[in-house]
Amino acid sequence: MFHPTIWCDSDDYRADVEVVDPKKCLEESCKPKCVKPLLEYQACVKRVQGDESGHKHCTGQYFDYWQCVDKCVGPKLFAELK
Amino acid sequence: AVASWNSHFLSFPFYFFFYVPRSPISSLHFPVSLSLSLGLIDLVHKASNQMVGGGVIQQILRRKLHSQSVAAPVLLWLSSKKAHVDAGASGVRAFALLGAGVTGLLSFSTVASADEAEHGLACPDYPWPHDGILSSYDHASIRRGHQVYQQVCASCHSMSLISYRDLVGVAYTEEEAKAMAAEIEVVDGPNDEGEMFTRPGKLSDRLPQPYANESAARFANGGAYPPDLSLITKARHNGQNYVFALLTGYRDPPAGISIREGLHYNPYFPGGAIAMPKMLNDEAVEYEDGVPATEAQMGKDVVSFLSWAAEPEMEERKLMGFKWIFLLSLALLQAAYYRRLKWSVLKSRKLVLDVVN
Repeated sequence: MFHPTIWCDSDDYRADVEVVDPKKCLEESCKPKCVKPLLEYQACVKRVQGDESGHKHCTGQYFDYWQCVDKCVGPKLFAELK
Repeated sequence: AVASWNSHFLSFPFYFFFYVPRSPISSLHFPVSLSLSLGLIDLVHKASNQMVGGGVIQQILRRKLHSQSVAAPVLLWLSSKKAHVDAGASGVRAFALLGAGVTGLLSFSTVASADEAEHGLACPDYPWPHDGILSSYDHASIRRGHQVYQQVCASCHSMSLISYRDLVGVAYTEEEAKAMAAEIEVVDGPNDEGEMFTRPGKLSDRLPQPYANESAARFANGGAYPPDLSLITKARHNGQNYVFALLTGYRDPPAGISIREGLHYNPYFPGGAIAMPKMLNDEAVEYEDGVPATEAQMGKDVVSFLSWAAEPEMEERKLMGFKWIFLLSLALLQAAYYRRLKWSVLKSRKLVLDVVN
C-alpha cells in the first residue's frame, strides 16, 4: 500500500505562508501506522454514542491509539526542531 | 483447626471483614449469606457484556472513576465484603471467600482500566540533546526556554530557587542578566529609618514570584496551585518527557469523558482533568534568534530550560563522572594486578602429605 510521505520539517513550502507545528504534522503522518487502534476507538465511540447511562467511555481505546502515535512520533520529532 | 487459622497473621484482612461469631444462633445466617454470596457471583457473570468491564461492580467502579476517586478499589472491597459479614459456621466462610475471590479477580480488570486514567497516559521518551553521557545542554535552547517561561509561564508559576546570577554564563551575559534583573522591583529593608523600601532588582535577587503566597495563588486559579517550577523535572516521574508531553498534549477528551467547567482535558495528567489551560500556541512568543516558535519548539525549549533549572550541575557532573569512572577503572586494574601478585606466593604453594603407616 502506498503511503504518501509527508514532510514535516521547517523547510516545508507551507512554512512560508503559515507556521506548521511539527508535532501535529508528524501525528497526522503516523496515523496510517496506527490504524488498528484508531478503528477500535471509532468502534467504541459508536458504542458509546448509543449509551444512555453516561458510564461508558473510551479511555482505554483512546490511550491505546495515542500511545501508538506517541511511539511513532517520539524518535522523529526532535529532528524537526531547532 | 479453626482457631489456628484465625490466629494466623495473614488472616487479619479476612478476620477484619469476616467476623465469625462462635455462637450456634449465628447459624441462622447461613442461608442468607450463602444466597447473597452466590447471588453476587451470579450478578457479576450475568451482567458482563462488551462494555469495558461490564457488571454491577464495574458500574460502581466507573461511577467512582468519573468522580476521580482513588478510593474506588477499596470501596469496592468493602461493598462486596459487607454481604459476607456475620457469616455463620466455618463452612460458610469457604463460600464467602470464594465469592470474595471471584469478585476480587473480576474487579482486578476494572482496577486496571480505572488505573489508566488515574495514572495518566504514559509519555514517550524523546531524544533530548543533553541525554548522552558526555552531552551538554543546548544553551541556545535554554535561552529561548527562559524567554518562553518569562512571557508565558511566569504569570502563574514561580521559580523561587533560581537567581538572576545563575543565568549568567548559561543563557545570558552578565550585562543582559543585570538589565533583566533591573526591570523588576524588589522589596528590601529595613532602612535606617526602619522602613521597608522597594528598589530595582540585582543579580543576586531571585526570580520574581507571581503571587505572595500559596493561598493567593490558589485563590487566583480556582483552588489549584500552580507549582513552583525550579525542580519540576526532578519532581515528576520521567520529568522531562512528562512535562513536554503535558504541555504539547492538550487534546479533545475521549468519547464518554466530560470535564467540568474550569478544568481541561490532558491525557498525560493523572486523572485527566488539569486546571491549567493550553498555554503553548504557535507563535505565542517571538524568538530573538528567529527560530519559528511552534508549539513543539516552545515545549522543547522550555523543558530544556526547566531541566537546567532543576539540574544546573549536570554538565560538571557528567565530566566528573566520566573522569573518575575512567581513573577508578585503571585503579581497579592496578589493584587486581597487585592482589594477584601478592597472593601468587600462597596460590603456588605445594603441600605434601606424609602418610603415617
